[in-house]
Amino acid sequence: MKTILLLEDLPEIRAWLKTLVMEVFPDGQISEAARVHDALELVSAIKFDLALCDLGLPDGSGVAVVERLRETQSECQSVVVTIHDDDEHLFPALQAGAFGYILKEQPRQLITEQLQRMSQGEPPLSPSIARRVIAYFAAQSKPQQPDLMPHVSLTERESEVLLRVAKGFTLPEIGVQLGLSRHTIADYVKQIYRKLNVSSRAEAALEAQRLGLFRR
Amino acid sequence: MARNGFNDWQHALALAALLWLGLAAPPVPAQTQTQAFADALTAEDTGTGRFPVDSAQRVVTLPDEWSRTRPQEDTPLWYRLHFDAAGVVSQPALLGLYIDRACANVEIQLNGQPLHAAGRMTDPISLACQRPLLVPLPAALLHERANTIDLRLAGYALQRVASRQRAGSLAAPLIGPYDQLHTRHARDTLLAVALPLAAATLLLLTGLVVLVMARLRPRDTHLRYFGALAIGWALITARLWWHDLPLPNYDSELLLASLLPLIALAAVQFLLHYAGWRSRPIEVALYAQCVAMPVSLLLAGPLRIHMIASTWYVLLVLQVLAAMAFYLWSTQRARRRDFWAIALLLGVAAAAVVLELAAQQRLLASPWQRLPQVLMPLAFMAMGLHLVQQYGRALLTAEESRQALESRVREASAEMEKNYAQMAELRVEQVTQQERKRIAADLHDDLGAKLLTIVHTSESERISTLAREALEEMRLSVRGLTGKPVKLIDALGDWRAEVVGRLSQTGVEGEWHAPSDELPQTLSARAYVQTTRILREAVNNIIKHSGASRCSIRCRIDSGDFQLAIQDNGKGIPLELDGRLDRGHGMASMKHRAKQLHGQCLVESGPGYGTVIRLTIPLERHTTTG
Repeated sequence: MKTILLLEDLPEIRAWLKTLVMEVFPDGQISEAARVHDALELVSAIKFDLALCDLGLPDGSGVAVVERLRETQSECQSVVVTIHDDDEHLFPALQAGAFGYILKEQPRQLITEQLQRMSQGEPPLSPSIARRVIAYFAAQSKPQQPDLMPHVSLTERESEVLLRVAKGFTLPEIGVQLGLSRHTIADYVKQIYRKLNVSSRAEAALEAQRLGLFRR
Repeated sequence: MARNGFNDWQHALALAALLWLGLAAPPVPAQTQTQAFADALTAEDTGTGRFPVDSAQRVVTLPDEWSRTRPQEDTPLWYRLHFDAAGVVSQPALLGLYIDRACANVEIQLNGQPLHAAGRMTDPISLACQRPLLVPLPAALLHERANTIDLRLAGYALQRVASRQRAGSLAAPLIGPYDQLHTRHARDTLLAVALPLAAATLLLLTGLVVLVMARLRPRDTHLRYFGALAIGWALITARLWWHDLPLPNYDSELLLASLLPLIALAAVQFLLHYAGWRSRPIEVALYAQCVAMPVSLLLAGPLRIHMIASTWYVLLVLQVLAAMAFYLWSTQRARRRDFWAIALLLGVAAAAVVLELAAQQRLLASPWQRLPQVLMPLAFMAMGLHLVQQYGRALLTAEESRQALESRVREASAEMEKNYAQMAELRVEQVTQQERKRIAADLHDDLGAKLLTIVHTSESERISTLAREALEEMRLSVRGLTGKPVKLIDALGDWRAEVVGRLSQTGVEGEWHAPSDELPQTLSARAYVQTTRILREAVNNIIKHSGASRCSIRCRIDSGDFQLAIQDNGKGIPLELDGRLDRGHGMASMKHRAKQLHGQCLVESGPGYGTVIRLTIPLERHTTTG
């Protein structure tokens, strides 16, 4: 049995998402929330396996929920469900620990497929997100305080995958090019997401330390 | 007893001085035939119009000054000169009598016949002191041996005149060939009358010009005083040739003497103001002096004019000299650029004043007396020129600084305009950016949410698809609204991912050829969005309508153009009745979009031949624009 959090403010879309999720995970137990506040309450009460979070909500951004889940329930897989396809909106969510994203307007079948793939550990990665990640790690590789900063860097292979994604190659294509299996490529992408989150959290902690704030 | 009038060394020295001043007179060769009378027989006038043979007579040495030989007296005096015309009468030459100076006025008789009479002989006597007199001695009136010349001289006692130059006196008359004397007369007239007259006229003009300048520049008060000084001095000089004043001698002497403290006032004030120093007490004292002098002369009466006036002269000259010294002292400290020029001028003026004073006190030989009359106006005119030059320079500087100011104002206003324009532009840019963000957010939140709801709640697949396409369009529009320029290499990556992903999903074999190295070019957000739409439309057509199994997309950069060729092996686009391609396949909107980017979109197609869409966009226009 899977516990699933569904955070979406539009009732019709929430209902539609619910039926879709129930289709993919027939034995899932779904908790619904329309606001960030409600979602955070649910997070503190229930342990979730999967969270589908909208970004633009009436009382804030779904990124806060993704962040809380990352902090308190590290096993939970957060997926951003949004109509924003641009990296400006998606990247902060990915940094906060989201494992992938789904664009809401896509056909039901496509979303189902993506959800299944993600639940199997195969997150999506668009060229623009890949470019953002490359730029992020390029900036991280020359930190101003290397001693304080737990250095998180990408491996050569991970960078290779990112570069190819950025140039518009699909993951299966990259697998063929690098002589790797589809699953191995997916693992790389997963690893990239994880490292992005770890590095971002370290950066945030450092920033907080620098400002004299302590979170825990 | 007769002596040669040209051997006087002092005279020669004075001439040399005048020559040095550039006032050369033609040299007169020494002429032994010209003789000067060394003495004369004098007798008091009895009113008979003839030399009073019966009255008391005495011999005086010539030149005769009444102040020495008959002080206090001022009745006319007869002088009788005897001369021998032997050897002269036989010659056809004309003889002449020349009197360098006869003050105030003289009548001449030869052997009892009147030869010369001009002007008044009673108060106010015509003042002809300065005017050299030359009369011909007609041969018809001459005797062989004993000839008599009678001179009746009318004049004033020294005590009745303010200046010694106007006291009764007679220079030693000369007798000789008329032409020689005429030359001499012409020269002396030039020196004694014409030159001072010209100088006075010029001085008057200088004064007037300076006064006009002073009126234009009221802040330069020294100009006012200099103008007054020059005009005052010109008036004093004018007395030399102004023979007949319609006033009794006493009144005209009083008037003339009263001018002097005014001149001193102008001189002192000019110097002080020119040195940049003003003193109210000194000014008041100077004005008081202008009243005190005439009053003192009035109180002293007509018989003590000379004594009182001479005392005042010394006083006034001392004041002026003190002012000069003060001026030099203060300007030397201030290190003015024109210090030495002014010092020289003041030196000349001081010398002239002192010479004049000395002449009044009989300390100077008579030829030297004319020097101050020339020196003074010269100094004044030089000073006047200097002031005019200063004025002109000030005017020039003012004009230059005005022009500099004008150009600076122009620059400043241009700068301000530029800054304002920049600020306005920036502000417009900011506002536009804000507004775009607001519109983008609104579109996402309202339109996006509603379209999304339609996508997922509509029963009709067609409507869902339409709404989905509308959402995609909206998203692109928003990106076009807010987006930054996109690197061409990134755009290629995005397009490849989309096209290859969609083709593979629909089972069409896709082939993508594009440069994969780093490219310097960028696309504006608009160009990126429009190209994305064209590409998306073309791929849609292939997937939906062409029935193609293969599709190739080639991108390349050729001489500043971005070229995109999309080729499929489908059934091609059906022709319309008029032979044109079917517009239902979105060709028109593709072409329209290409046109908006100043590019073009060509479609080659035929039933069974597949379709090639060639898109060309000039890159330059989109490399920098946002």
